[in-house]
Amino acid sequence: MSLSSSFDLLDIPKDIILLITDQLHSPGDFALYRSLISHIKQNQNQQRSSRLRVVISTGQHISRWDAILAKSNVNLSQQIAAKTVHFVDMSSSIPQAQTEVKGEKGQGGNPFNTLFKKVASLFDQFETTATEHDTTHRGAGAGALVILDDVSVLEWIGYETMEIVRLCRALRALCIKNQATLVIRHHIVVTPGELDPLFRHLYSLCTYHLDVQPLTSGRSGDVRGQVALHHGPNAFSQSTTTAVKTRQRSSALHYRLTDGAAVFFERGSSRGVL
Amino acid sequence: MSFKRKSTSKTQSLPGTRPSPGSIATTITSTGIPSLDDILGGGLPLSCSLVIAAPDPHSAYGELVQKFFVSQGLACKQDVLVVGSNLDALDWVKSCVWFHNPTSSKTTLEDDVEEQKPADEDQKMKIAWRYEQLKQFQTTVGSTSVSEDFCQPFDLTSRIPLSIIDSALKSSQLTTFNVLDILHSVLPNSFSTTQKVLLHIEEILSQRSSRAPKVPLRICIPALGSYAWGDLCAQDILHFLYRLRSVLSRHPLSCASISMESHISANAWGGPGWIEKVGWMCDGLITLDAFTTNPSLSTLFPSHHGLVHIHTLPSPHTLLPPSDRFSTLRGLSVSAVEGGNSSGENNLAFKCTRKRLIFETLHLDVEGGVGERRTTPAPLTAFDNDSHISSPGPTAALPVVEVEVEVDRGSEVKAAFSLSQNDTEGNPQAEEAQVPKSRSKKPKKAVAFRSDRPDLYDF
Repeated sequence: MSLSSSFDLLDIPKDIILLITDQLHSPGDFALYRSLISHIKQNQNQQRSSRLRVVISTGQHISRWDAILAKSNVNLSQQIAAKTVHFVDMSSSIPQAQTEVKGEKGQGGNPFNTLFKKVASLFDQFETTATEHDTTHRGAGAGALVILDDVSVLEWIGYETMEIVRLCRALRALCIKNQATLVIRHHIVVTPGELDPLFRHLYSLCTYHLDVQPLTSGRSGDVRGQVALHHGPNAFSQSTTTAVKTRQRSSALHYRLTDGAAVFFERGSSRGVL
Repeated sequence: MSFKRKSTSKTQSLPGTRPSPGSIATTITSTGIPSLDDILGGGLPLSCSLVIAAPDPHSAYGELVQKFFVSQGLACKQDVLVVGSNLDALDWVKSCVWFHNPTSSKTTLEDDVEEQKPADEDQKMKIAWRYEQLKQFQTTVGSTSVSEDFCQPFDLTSRIPLSIIDSALKSSQLTTFNVLDILHSVLPNSFSTTQKVLLHIEEILSQRSSRAPKVPLRICIPALGSYAWGDLCAQDILHFLYRLRSVLSRHPLSCASISMESHISANAWGGPGWIEKVGWMCDGLITLDAFTTNPSLSTLFPSHHGLVHIHTLPSPHTLLPPSDRFSTLRGLSVSAVEGGNSSGENNLAFKCTRKRLIFETLHLDVEGGVGERRTTPAPLTAFDNDSHISSPGPTAALPVVEVEVEVDRGSEVKAAFSLSQNDTEGNPQAEEAQVPKSRSKKPKKAVAFRSDRPDLYDF
């Protein structure tokens, strides 16, 4: 539970597109873990039927996810065995040669077609399984969670920006169709006077933008960085029952990391420190 | 009732390793440099990759770190894989460091301190007598706190014996291959050099996995991006590091240490944010920014050879890198222990002594440097809020030094020193010696802060 009640990922409504941006000195992976942990625990607390969670990881190995989730008493291996969590490790399916990354001439098509079809099939399988157990049940994918971590790496190793954007758009459409939440992480590489083209595209897709930044004064033992929450372009086009309180950068929350979670506190206060 | 931390038998049986202080699920191994181990939080975790960037083209500190890495692996009976590029891999291994003398190998940090000791340190302090018994200010950590099984005390003046290398080759403890040999492999030309090298490493790891190894494997790439690798672009390097990290995560008994060539280590080489991108592609990234290209820094920090920049640190099983909690040099752990009085991270530097490569904290000298000892404010440089010059008033018993230089016909220079005591009313000659005779008045300056008031940024 966050110490600050004004900011909690649980408060963000479901079936939204959340874009998380971070920097090297302030990695935002804690937000991804928190999303998954919150999603699993909320489902358990409300005793609902299981929901689908898909984690598409391009960098972090499953052992790290397992270790960090275990610190919050979530057994990832159990969840995977029960097929409520599907872990897709993209790093093992990355093509060997650069020519494969750029796409063979004449073949056309998006290199992420296979990945998208796999995710779509997971939704279909989940729907089928839920319907078999309850013939009156519809929309098993509702309330599902899809995490895409992270898209920047794909661009840096040679994939075209537009191909990555198309993948994100396709996942967004799939999640909207199934009333699922999509979380995308993107690394911001500081380029003075320039805005990352991929970020521009991703921002146009998102409902909310979680901005994780390091402190301008450098690393500290007690404060790792600061987080701000902004409305995305699509925030006001959806009917949301919960009013989400955003946080501008000027009033960003500070956070510090423990081994398994992040603790948030107001700037200048000692609530999360002492 | 006392509680014992669980330790798996697997970690205990792996030579040269120990559990990480931050997480028992993480097994760490030494880099061969105790102070670098401290920066990493105890050592380099298995299944992680460490990249050393050394942008200075006139030095080879990055490669030196790799020599310690390889020597440590051979000394603690771990398997070592070296990828040679500039030099033949085997010839490069022969230049690695070793102990000075196995029987007297317990050289400690105090030996390093001894060789740095100034000549006049033995003189008794006359003023600060109450501080005589205090320990000398320590700026680095040594290998005294860990056993020699974990980190050996290597000596830069010693080279690894050929017998050690021969026996390691025969027992397959040491494996080497060269990048140039890989270029002519059977793989299609569409594969870049980095891909071919990576596939070869994967093949070695797969063959090793099939034999169920019981010792960790260290992969060392001393010069990534050198001429032997051909024309590499930023994408090639990032792809290589990314896939190498993925391969290591699938082989949890292996780790890798890579040094990038100087031109690749420059921040502008791969475009905007190049070093940050490299940091995202590996588990740990440290830059050794030597002073060679910047003489002003060498003058400012004469006892160091470069700055250490930490970009990212390994944390394979925790959100928070263990280094944040357990590194003495970085100083973040101190702030946490002292009840949240955060003072930020220490500045770090490195120096290469005759025997060691040491990473230590960097502290700024007093204003003006240690060579200048000022007992009175400098003339015409002291301002207060009223914006008027505070001239050095008469003080009691101030020694004044007058130097006269005489040059003989025979080109002999004699220096005559005269000391004169200043009387209570002030010696006009002494004042004149301090204060120039004619100086134009400088315009009044506004002072942003006063030194007697606390600094705004003093946390």
